[in-house]
Amino acid sequence: MKHTLKNVFHSPRFLVGFIIFMTILLTVLIYPYFVQRDPLQGLGKGFLSPGTYVSVYDTNNAGTYRVELPEANDNRLEASVPVKDRQTMLDYLTAMGADVSGLDTSNENFHALLEAWNANYDEADAKKNKYDGFATQAKRNELRRLNNRLTSDVTAAMSVTKGEGEAATVASVATSDYVKVSEVANSISLPLGTDNFGRDTLTELVKATGISLLVGLIAGSIATLLGLLVGLLAGYVGGIVDDILMFIANIFTVIPGFVLLILIYSALGAESRGITTCAVIIGITSWVWTARSVRSQVISLRNRDHVNLSKLSGHSLFRIVTTDILPYIMSYVVMAFILQVSSGILAEAQLSMLGLGPNPNELPTLGLMMNWAKLFGAYTSSNAWWAYFPVILVIALISFSLNLMNTGLDQVFNPTLRD
Amino acid sequence: MKKILALLLAAIMCLGAVSALAEVTDLPRNETLYFGGQQWDPVVGYNPLGDNMNNGLALSAAPRGTRTCMFETLYMFNGLDGQLYPLLADGAYEWNEDLTALTLKIKPAAKWSDGTPVTADDVVATWDVSTKIQNGTYTGYAPYIEGIENVDGAVVIKCKLNDAGQPANPLQVLNFLTGVYIVQKDWAEALCAKHNDDATAIRTDPTPDAVYSGPYGPYFANDQLVAFVRNDNYWGQDASMWGKLPAPKYLAHTIYKDNDATLVAFQAGQIDVNQQFIANVQKLWEEQGLPIATYSDEPPYGICATMPTAWYNMDIPVLQVKEVRKAIAMAVDYDNIIENAMTNQSPSFADVPRSVMNPTDGEQALYDHEAVADLQWVGKDIEGAKALLDSAGIVDSDGDGWREYNGEKISLKACCPDGWTDWQAAMNMVAEAGKAIGIEIIATFPTWDQYQTVFTKGSQTEYEIFMWSPAGAEPAAPWSRVRAFMSSEFVGVDNNWSGNFGHYKNERIDEIIRQIPLTTDPAELKALYTEATQIYLDEVPSFSLMYRPECFHAVNETVWTGYPEKDDGNNIPPMDCTDGYGIAALYNLELVDAE
Repeated sequence: MKHTLKNVFHSPRFLVGFIIFMTILLTVLIYPYFVQRDPLQGLGKGFLSPGTYVSVYDTNNAGTYRVELPEANDNRLEASVPVKDRQTMLDYLTAMGADVSGLDTSNENFHALLEAWNANYDEADAKKNKYDGFATQAKRNELRRLNNRLTSDVTAAMSVTKGEGEAATVASVATSDYVKVSEVANSISLPLGTDNFGRDTLTELVKATGISLLVGLIAGSIATLLGLLVGLLAGYVGGIVDDILMFIANIFTVIPGFVLLILIYSALGAESRGITTCAVIIGITSWVWTARSVRSQVISLRNRDHVNLSKLSGHSLFRIVTTDILPYIMSYVVMAFILQVSSGILAEAQLSMLGLGPNPNELPTLGLMMNWAKLFGAYTSSNAWWAYFPVILVIALISFSLNLMNTGLDQVFNPTLRD
Repeated sequence: MKKILALLLAAIMCLGAVSALAEVTDLPRNETLYFGGQQWDPVVGYNPLGDNMNNGLALSAAPRGTRTCMFETLYMFNGLDGQLYPLLADGAYEWNEDLTALTLKIKPAAKWSDGTPVTADDVVATWDVSTKIQNGTYTGYAPYIEGIENVDGAVVIKCKLNDAGQPANPLQVLNFLTGVYIVQKDWAEALCAKHNDDATAIRTDPTPDAVYSGPYGPYFANDQLVAFVRNDNYWGQDASMWGKLPAPKYLAHTIYKDNDATLVAFQAGQIDVNQQFIANVQKLWEEQGLPIATYSDEPPYGICATMPTAWYNMDIPVLQVKEVRKAIAMAVDYDNIIENAMTNQSPSFADVPRSVMNPTDGEQALYDHEAVADLQWVGKDIEGAKALLDSAGIVDSDGDGWREYNGEKISLKACCPDGWTDWQAAMNMVAEAGKAIGIEIIATFPTWDQYQTVFTKGSQTEYEIFMWSPAGAEPAAPWSRVRAFMSSEFVGVDNNWSGNFGHYKNERIDEIIRQIPLTTDPAELKALYTEATQIYLDEVPSFSLMYRPECFHAVNETVWTGYPEKDDGNNIPPMDCTDGYGIAALYNLELVDAE
């Protein structure tokens, strides 16, 4: 046993797969101790992109520090009016025939550009004259939004009101005033942003990964156990039992498994699709190939000398199967189990992606996250990669690691593959 | 030999594919206006008298905005001001004293595509043939219209009278004016003769050669594309109508597989006018910088005229308890629905307090806001909802966290069709509200086929809470919406698409629904609408989840520009450049690159 384990961990493939899988598993187990948030709680409104969000309100109450950053003004300008927007301003001024000599998009000349803009831009005028390149509603809207930003951000002096009612004091904020992020009462880090419901994607993803692993584990266990049982019985007992069991197995083989799953799932209805139910159904529809392989291996084993010896010694069927046959096919069963877990996770993801997954209100799963991301146009209109890409990555990593572990084991146990 | 044969076969297939493509892409981009979201699956036919023609661009009749590209109605409805604009009709219609007959004239310039003039006889024939073949026009309007006559060249629509000698419903007659395509008498009679007056055969004849009066006629249709070509002899270029021809020579609609495919094509500029819900539509221009615009570039981006509503099924005993209905409605977080499910494409219930009215100014002025202020709720009132349930004796007596009714745990299903994204998200939030107040609600998304057969049944116990929209803006609104919300005439009616899907009964409201169409005094009307609102908000037979545009309207200005926009002074509603008075937009379009 010890020797086998050592061999197994010497296989680089198995080791890599094992490390990836354990990292995912440990993250799933440990993460909830650090972030105790309900994964389905809506925090933001719609898709928020990844980043740290700091309460504007609370920054007013945090202590201010004086920091002189030499590039502060340039950064500020770049953030509120990027060069792209300055180019748009310049293009518009050119299109409407204003004097643009000496104007460019550099930081130094921004004020000259702004003055020219303020002197020339007029919303009604833009609408009426439809200047070349700015004739469409979309372009004019862009100009108006740009203009609103120019008047609200750049030129206005900033002040904050502290307190309420009569006791309110107005304090002006200097450009060199800074707050320390850790002193702001409320801030939240959303490394993967939020999904369409405003849920923290990372927390949801971790929870969903855990649930998907659980689904895979239950489905894999059921499929393997069922397959093992049927395979052992059919292979060892043979005769009419074998015929009946293989008849059933053949029926399952000719019905496409995924179609069967879709039919069962939609017949069940969303309200009765719990996590366990889903896993069990995936399990009982995918035992066939395990059963067939186990059976063929058992058939080749059952006429070996040591089995015949056991028979002659009068050992019970149970004992012969467990002590004389099972140990010889155990390595194969373990490998089959790993693949079953992997395909169980994928099956759940596929079904949920089609909107047939577990009941969507209670728990997140990887497939459900994909489904909602798709429905809310995360990869089309909403432009929110963080809502679907990490999910795809996790699904890929899980099945990749499990398959690596499987081929690693294969290398160790299958003599024909040994180096 | 085999190789040559195989090569030959491959060559033939390639040629076939190329020629099919060539046919589809034949339309010059600069003369074609492409639509999205209006046509799914291939066109069946062009028969304005028929049923199930599945022809999104040519045959889409609804009083709020009938698509008049090919066939035309007497008037066009404009949801912006609630007015009827004459199309085939000449000037305004006139009611007689006791609202029993409506008279209108036909524009002298109006012509059919075969060059013959449109006359009052055609309107009469439209009604007579519809009556003969019992099509949708007939079943929809027969309860209100006795008959249509040609009196000295003028069209006279006679109302059906009730036992008291009053007109059954003058408002529904107005819906007829904007919601029914007029067909040519000769063509309709020839069609009847062709099928020996066999009603089913007439209703299912695809009639690709139908005589039409609108600006566009059939050009091409297969399972990938449907296209219409402008009739350059269109009568509307007469000064008495538009004064010119619509700008695009072709109207076309590529048939896409689903919403995602449509959206991708729209982003790529292959669709000019798109009617589909686009989550976070503002990101298309703010983040992706695409030349895409909506009616207004600020929330709610369009004109919200309808109210997707959650209906309670009164066939379920626990939902007959008023407090349960109200408590669930109070607990729902509507702001969350509007911000997350609708991505802000709806005004909030704080901005437009709930009533039976849509958010347009015209309807909002029709009820007394102060009189119902106590009854309006803004949502997310968990404590209030819990207290209400407690006071009604609906409590959790076995301590499992869920409330019971008659000793049984309350468990409800909240349903809407699968794939209706914003509705699905809304139903999820209703389920969350239930969880917060101790009532189990499970969001369930059946397929559309299944959904539509269940919720329209005369009585059903499968869906406890389900979604549908009442009438939006149309000539008969908001009366039609009060009726859709609460009229008991729909209780027990199978295949009911008209309203009161939850089968609510209230005698007083039935009385109000009878009175409103016959009331012309504004003060009296306002009192009736206020009372209807009070009953609706007190009894909560259903509750609106959000406001929603009548139709989504987003445009990509890669090729065309000059679409209707807010405050442009044109008074053209954002109705996809085709629906009701929205078709006026086609006459204002210009090419972005004129050369």
